[in-house]
Amino acid sequence: MKKLIGIILAILMIAGTVTLFASCSNQTNKPEESKEPTSEDGKYEVALVTDVGQLMDKGFNQGTWEGVEGFSKANGKTYKYYQPANGADATDNDRIAAMKQAITNGAKIIVAPGFLQQAAMEAVAKENPDVKFVFVDGWAFGLKNVTAIVYKEQESGFLAGYAAVMEGYTKLGFTGGGGGGNPAVNRFGYGFIQGAEAAAAEKGVEVEMKYSFKYGDTFSASPELQTQIAGWYADGTEVVFACGGSMFSSVLSAASEYENAKIIGVDVDQSGESEKVITSAVKGLSVSVEKVLGQFFDGKWDELLADKAQNLGAADDSTGLPTETWRLKNFTKAQYEELYGKIKSGEIVPVAEVPEDVTAGFEHVKVDLEK
Amino acid sequence: MIFVLQKTLIFTIPLLIVALAGMFAERSGIINIALDGIMIFGAFAGALTAFFLRKNPVFVDHNQLTFVIAMLVAAVAGALFSLLLSFSAIKLKADQTIGGTALNMLAPAIALFFIKVFFNKDQLEMAPAVNSAGNVKDFGYSLKNDGLNPVFQVFFDKAYISTFIAIGLFILLSIFIYKTKTGLRLRSCGEHPQAAASVGIEVNRMRYLGTTISGALAGFGGYAYIATVANGNATGAVAGMGFLALAIMIFGNWKPLGIAFGALFFGFLKCLSVSADKISFLKSLNLPKYFYNLIPYVAVLLVLAFASKRSRAPKAEGIPYDKGMR
Repeated sequence: MKKLIGIILAILMIAGTVTLFASCSNQTNKPEESKEPTSEDGKYEVALVTDVGQLMDKGFNQGTWEGVEGFSKANGKTYKYYQPANGADATDNDRIAAMKQAITNGAKIIVAPGFLQQAAMEAVAKENPDVKFVFVDGWAFGLKNVTAIVYKEQESGFLAGYAAVMEGYTKLGFTGGGGGGNPAVNRFGYGFIQGAEAAAAEKGVEVEMKYSFKYGDTFSASPELQTQIAGWYADGTEVVFACGGSMFSSVLSAASEYENAKIIGVDVDQSGESEKVITSAVKGLSVSVEKVLGQFFDGKWDELLADKAQNLGAADDSTGLPTETWRLKNFTKAQYEELYGKIKSGEIVPVAEVPEDVTAGFEHVKVDLEK
Repeated sequence: MIFVLQKTLIFTIPLLIVALAGMFAERSGIINIALDGIMIFGAFAGALTAFFLRKNPVFVDHNQLTFVIAMLVAAVAGALFSLLLSFSAIKLKADQTIGGTALNMLAPAIALFFIKVFFNKDQLEMAPAVNSAGNVKDFGYSLKNDGLNPVFQVFFDKAYISTFIAIGLFILLSIFIYKTKTGLRLRSCGEHPQAAASVGIEVNRMRYLGTTISGALAGFGGYAYIATVANGNATGAVAGMGFLALAIMIFGNWKPLGIAFGALFFGFLKCLSVSADKISFLKSLNLPKYFYNLIPYVAVLLVLAFASKRSRAPKAEGIPYDKGMR
């Protein structure tokens, strides 16, 4: 008996150590590469280095990848993606290894989504001034071979919040990835509250919102997240804004237990993922990546892109809700267009700077922050 | 409160059935430390089945049928996978702990490998699919009966068919191991195989039987776990539920009732770790989430430390059967 316990404990300990070592020893792990499509000389001009989370996350990475793929296919460029080793626990060294691998494979331009990639990119970009970098979700940082794309996520969040309340929902939820430290997710969330507030003020209703970064630090699904969100739905929350890549599947699992539970998707149009998705707060990842790649291959890098950051929003049609596929009934397309026009023209400007305390300053929305 | 009880039940089921799986193997004399690996393998097989079945609208319409088929496939896959263990342990007389550990390492590797190769993903989702009416349907299998009174709601609302199957199986198999001839023979092989052999019982056959039942149950438990608790994704991991189940088996003293109690206890703790906010008294304490996540595992250590004194493992478990030994 004692022997058995000893064995179990020993195995648990070994398993723990192995995981620990696996996450520390990054040199030994090769970054993962895509197999398709292959180029004849083994060189790939356009490279994508993914953010945390998997490539096919139905969101951020996938949206960016679709841009790379779309452009490259249309223009006959060879392209390839690289997933830094260690998945969700990837370190800067893993990202550097992935970027160097891309350069070894002949990358002329590397698209790197995710603000976490800055340190790695800075290091590699300095060493390789001839290789260009596209930094999605981050700002330029003084290197001539880096261009940055930042989105006004607060606008998409605003539209989603507004639409949800206008649709008739008064109990909302927001669950975000990155543990509260991801600026893009935070902007989505803060915009969501502001949109709900604006609509609630207009309709004269009171809105309750659960707001949490508790689970999904690495943008992944977990039983904990599923149970938390199921608890929200059990408490009467009607629609949850699932803001973070693979976290979507936890929210979906929770929603599938409740007849009337609804979800708002993020980054790309997720309406095809489930009938419960009423709309998605999108940002034009693939469009803007395609545009930047086009400008680069047209030889306009120095003129338009070098060390510049584009802050894309409604004015560039880079934020919004996909009206064709949404499942909203009371909030009409005409209402949406009107509001979108106001954001476009600058009549309504959702606040981008997320304050320390997101719950403060709203009269009609009661934000319940779960820590 | 209803919510916490519902979730406790859902968390309990995989633990219950997998701990029972462990009991079957060990009562027949084989240490099945591979429960975790078998769960992972079963979960993968079940998810794969559900994924392919759901390409056909008929199976999307009949969601529960799909669920049951996937569970069956998971159980069969688990049983087949466990044959690796029983073969090495019975036929080759290898060290059972090492064989089990190998399976634990093999299962996630196989699952992840195929998911990567075929789906280019880190996890296999039982994706939404189109039903015969042309609507997109989620994979959700829960039964919805919110009109019931609270007591029944705990059992029948947001419940899964796997819950009832698991409870049914648990009762049937408990009767089987204590009240049938085969059950008695199986138990005797875990206590003193030479004595069993002397009265004409085929020890190896009994041990194969025990381990195969164990594998089937663990595979089923693995699929039940991902379908009800873990987002419906096969990820090549079951969060150590298999090891927790082993601990519950020891806590339950290799007996069904003890296991049932232990599974409920740990299911509750697991559930508490994610729904502490639902209990106002605990919410007011405002403890960090890590504290609650820690509780089930600390409880395992404590319980094992105290339970080991009175625990009575099958005497011959872990010892390869040798006819000539006395």
